[in-house]
Amino acid sequence: MTLTEDGQIVVSGLTKHYGKVKAVDDLSFAVRSGRVTGFLGPNGAGKTTTLRMILNLVTPTSGTATIGGQRYSDFPHPVRQVGAILEASAAHKGRTGRNHLRIMCAAAGLPLSRADEALELVGLTPAAKRKFRGYSLGMRQRLGIASAMLGDPKALILDEPANGLDPEGIRWMRDLLRKFAGEGRTVLVSSHLLSEMELLADDIVIIANGKLVKQGPVETIVNGISQAERVRVRTPDADKLAQALAGKATVTQENGVLLVTGIGAPAVGEAALRAGVVLHELVEERPDLEQVFLELTAGKAGIR
Amino acid sequence: MNLIRSELMKIRTTNVWWLFGIGVLVFTALSVTLWIFAGNQLIDDASSNAVFQPPPPEFEMSPEQLAEAQRQFELQHDISRVLSGAAAQIYTSGQFFGLLFVSLLGVILVTNEYYHQTATATFLTTPQRTKVILAKLGTASLAALIFWVGTTAISGIAGSIFFSSKGYSSQLGEWPVTRAVLMNGLAYGLWGILGVGLGVLIRNQIGAVITVAAGYLLGTYVVQIAAFLASQLFKSDWVQKASVIWPSVASEAMVSTEPIFSNPPPWWVGALILIGWGLVLGLVGTLITRKRDIA
Repeated sequence: MTLTEDGQIVVSGLTKHYGKVKAVDDLSFAVRSGRVTGFLGPNGAGKTTTLRMILNLVTPTSGTATIGGQRYSDFPHPVRQVGAILEASAAHKGRTGRNHLRIMCAAAGLPLSRADEALELVGLTPAAKRKFRGYSLGMRQRLGIASAMLGDPKALILDEPANGLDPEGIRWMRDLLRKFAGEGRTVLVSSHLLSEMELLADDIVIIANGKLVKQGPVETIVNGISQAERVRVRTPDADKLAQALAGKATVTQENGVLLVTGIGAPAVGEAALRAGVVLHELVEERPDLEQVFLELTAGKAGIR
Repeated sequence: MNLIRSELMKIRTTNVWWLFGIGVLVFTALSVTLWIFAGNQLIDDASSNAVFQPPPPEFEMSPEQLAEAQRQFELQHDISRVLSGAAAQIYTSGQFFGLLFVSLLGVILVTNEYYHQTATATFLTTPQRTKVILAKLGTASLAALIFWVGTTAISGIAGSIFFSSKGYSSQLGEWPVTRAVLMNGLAYGLWGILGVGLGVLIRNQIGAVITVAAGYLLGTYVVQIAAFLASQLFKSDWVQKASVIWPSVASEAMVSTEPIFSNPPPWWVGALILIGWGLVLGLVGTLITRKRDIA
């Protein structure tokens, strides 16, 4: 790790009220550098509001958020500390992508040539002098990333960056963020696409209704939640096996597949042998993040 | 400085500035032509050898009315006064539309940030929002001054040619004329600031543009007519004088060497009022922007 804890993001007691609605409610968590942290929650959980408070775009009702120990508004040159992508369609439609970046460079006191370097980095050089109006969604996301990379920051904050990207684009983004974290920087990515986070994130922070539900490394959370392992069994004699297991485990049938909870795969195999049932498939299923997530946030995704 | 450079780039990298520029130049060219024709007539009248003829007895004028008529006649035949009045009009030609365009430029400089959602990028780059608004105020007035230089160059060249063809000096050295030109510049700069302030108050781009255009074009007449009627009603002219608090009336008052209505507010009242508007709107705009959530 080259940059140590420089870009660590610490959120403590962050709260935002909109009238009577508590969009974010006493939220605290930490994001470590050198790792990709997924920020998960159902729609309306308060993810975007939280990220905007970290970035000083929204004023918290109470609580603080710091990056490397400093509040965002205290950075003399924030672009060199933190890169952020908050929405894809955020440039003047009649302006070229290159000029959009050059304007940011000028304001941040960076040499204008950084604009071209950032465009090169995200593979947007051929479209540099085209107007933003004509950009596809994927190109807009790439321009967003280029703008976040302008100041070569220590931390990256991205709000739903995978939205609207094609599979190739998602893969590209994933590699880029992994590389970024690999260089010792902090990456905080919000998403409601759980499968994507499972592939990308090292740590996750889950919120619902503006409150923290769980935070920690992905494996710990996935393993820690559901002790109820599930065994998937495929057999031509499903009813007979279900009978044999009755009383020892909970069995549900789904399209000719038995889902067994309560006992492990060896026990299911033994029971099948005793009952004289042929097995075509016997798999222990680890719960995936999606299940964990649904379990954790069940009933908390109230409508706002 | 970085921020002003960035804001100037924002103006330069879209189409608005040259569309507005062409608009202002066209209106300036038209109005300079009109004022030269009007000035030509006034100067010819003033330089004729006519002497005051008392009206025939059937008009039954009182001695006071007679004196007033003679005074008016002499004013119209006071060649140096007529020359500087015409020169001030000519050299500030196009002010009426120029100020409108300049304030709209200020409005757009702010409302674009919300309309195109670039406010996020702007405030991420510079979280010190006061600085951003100050840069916008500075940039709007700077751009406005560039418009003023352009319009003054056109009217200056056309006007100098006109005056020399009549055998007079360009009049630009006369203090009331110089003052009118300078005040015109101040008016341009201040209207850029007013535009930024209004853009902050009315975030919706279309709403803000319509409000400013209507307030400027219709508001000016409504205020002047209302003030005139009120002054007739109350038999006192302070109501009419009070119409100078409306910013577009104030900017007219600033550049006139002549009363724009009877018993005029002096030019510096107009200037002070417009500066006041600029300060209030600039301050309110800054305070609002500091508090506002960017979502």
